[in-house]
Amino acid sequence: MARSTLTRRGLLGTTAAAGGLSVVNGPWRHNRVWAQATDKPIRIGLTSDASGQYANSGASDRRGMIMAIDEANARGGVLGRKVEHIHLDTETTPATGSRVAERMITREECGFLVGAVSSGVANAISQVAQKYGVIYMNTNSSSPSESGENCHRVKFVWDGNGTNFAKAAVKNSIDRFGKNWLLLTNDYVWGHETAASTRALLAEYGGEVADEILVPQGTRDFSAALLSIQQANPDVVAAAVGGDDQKALRQQVAQLGMGSKPAWINNQQDWPDVYGLPLDNLFGVFGTTWYYKLDLPGVAEFVQRYQAAYPDTSMRVPGNVFYNGYMATRELLAAIERAGTTNNIAVIKELEGLQMSAESRMQTYDAMIDPVTHQVQQTIYLATANSAPVDENDMFEILTESPPDAVRDTSADAACKLESYEDTPSFDA
Amino acid sequence: MLNLVPHLVNGLTLGLLFALIALGFTLIVGVMEVINLAHGSLFALGAYFALSTIGGDWFAGTGFGVWWQGLPLWTRYVLALAIGPILAGAAGMVLEFCLRPAYGKAPLYGLLLTFGAALVIEELIRLGWGTGEQHLEVPQAINGAFFMGGLIFSKYKFFAAGFAILAILAVWLLLERTPYGAVIKAGAHDSEMVRALGYDLATLRLLVFGLGAALAGLAGVVMVPIWGLRPHVGIDVVIPAFLIIAIGGVGSFWGAVLASLLVGLAVGVTGAYAPAWATMSMYILLILILGLRARGLLGRKSALES
Repeated sequence: MARSTLTRRGLLGTTAAAGGLSVVNGPWRHNRVWAQATDKPIRIGLTSDASGQYANSGASDRRGMIMAIDEANARGGVLGRKVEHIHLDTETTPATGSRVAERMITREECGFLVGAVSSGVANAISQVAQKYGVIYMNTNSSSPSESGENCHRVKFVWDGNGTNFAKAAVKNSIDRFGKNWLLLTNDYVWGHETAASTRALLAEYGGEVADEILVPQGTRDFSAALLSIQQANPDVVAAAVGGDDQKALRQQVAQLGMGSKPAWINNQQDWPDVYGLPLDNLFGVFGTTWYYKLDLPGVAEFVQRYQAAYPDTSMRVPGNVFYNGYMATRELLAAIERAGTTNNIAVIKELEGLQMSAESRMQTYDAMIDPVTHQVQQTIYLATANSAPVDENDMFEILTESPPDAVRDTSADAACKLESYEDTPSFDA
Repeated sequence: MLNLVPHLVNGLTLGLLFALIALGFTLIVGVMEVINLAHGSLFALGAYFALSTIGGDWFAGTGFGVWWQGLPLWTRYVLALAIGPILAGAAGMVLEFCLRPAYGKAPLYGLLLTFGAALVIEELIRLGWGTGEQHLEVPQAINGAFFMGGLIFSKYKFFAAGFAILAILAVWLLLERTPYGAVIKAGAHDSEMVRALGYDLATLRLLVFGLGAALAGLAGVVMVPIWGLRPHVGIDVVIPAFLIIAIGGVGSFWGAVLASLLVGLAVGVTGAYAPAWATMSMYILLILILGLRARGLLGRKSALES
């Protein structure tokens, strides 16, 4: 057996030297540094649903991210490096979201994660991302808690949230339809938090909540709920029901002819959930962050680029979900380029407080990434079914456009406690 | 009490729809002892075939296609009610061919094969019809709403429930009042004896699987105007169907019907008074009934219980 040449004095000296180096070089919790060779591609993990309640929206989200990546590569990549993407199905399930995020970071060598529709999934992904210090773009999930109590230093939220949409809708609707409201709520985090926002706004503006009907996720038969709504006879039903549940609800409300009485306020209407349905399925007033026929510079050209990129997609025009996926990815890549590095802290600092012109985002008002909550403060549109569509895609009629300050989720400022930079592990892609 | 009656009516109609969904599933489990996890995909496939039949997609761009689309919606809808299930039944027969090597082996083989088939069928639907939401048009006469007791009810849902009653009676008549039904039931009871009597067991299984798949397709055509149509709509079908045959007793026709009505009532009434528990009520009912009676409501007593 060979004798060890390591002496006690040598061991102590080496330990002291290593400790000293770590103090000098920091950060102290450096998670992982990939070789910074310029030929190493930047890998982005697309964490979108391909199955479950948000499978269809997940596909649209993904198309948006991929178009932004393809456009960046066509310009020569980012920092001279090619951008690659890998997708794993998050199955509209938080547990799968965690597993996918863990795998993408530790095994697939992804430097950034992008994508979500379900707030439960987004929250699960962001916890894993924060653990490793990997920047995560929550593209499309809109629970207020995503930029409130579940905010993270590495997470940026690109969609309007339930409070933003409720603020845009509640006061106008009380004045127009009446103050006796019934809440129809999907029984999970987004539904509950959106309903809570609506309750708070109703209290603020003099409305009343007659009842709240909780709808389990996966509900396909809404007849019991619709009978209860008729028995309660409210002025307004504020529905926070998403994905496939919402499609079934719309179909059944349309069959009963209940779309106009009572008045329906659908917190947010994702384009993939209604595209292709008859217009009578599209009742009530609902919120959105973008519409393909907004009369704004760049919109028509963006639609053309979408159609050129996806000539075979049955959804012939982009919607809000695609738009958010695209914008989040485009701005992430632009921030990396501006930072001149893929170091997470540098990129986070580029994103925090980022001002984005209305023109660059094809919205009515300028937008910015709130440095306190990491949510994009943006224009919120209210829309209804278009009674005079120019073609089969022209389903929405935009009713109002609210500037970011008017619909700001002020409660998020107090609820969000971002981890400090020091407590966020450093990470290079 | 005044408020309960419409919810009881709603629960019963929902139960009949569940029975329609479970009919083909229980037939295949009862006769072939195969848990067909592709039942939901065949349900979706039938609905998509009906969609193409109503829309005339088969002959798009041809003179015949133009003529077809000019037919009254009622005619196309009735044809869709036949063509959707027939084609789903044909797909079921192909699946049965694939299942043959699994006969006589551990049930896991059949389970895995039908699970794989479900994934394949769903992907084929995505390729053929796209990933987006579709809308199956129904004739105006059975669409819309009617008033009863001052409340609005869906005409279509009552039509679908009535259709479910007809389908249940038709399957019962086939099984109980025809020689084919006698052979099918005998095959379920003692397949070796049926073979010894000169019946072609392979053909019998093929036809039963085809019939079960056609019933799944029929349920799809009838149900999607209520649930909406998307490639993964079949996922919503398998769990209720499975619960219903477990509650009713595996292989029991009337057990499945009774269980469907109970599940419908449980979901309907819970949906009125504790809506957050509406989905959970199915599982609670399952636990309660199987806890008290392991073989289900009308299931055969097993050798272990005697």
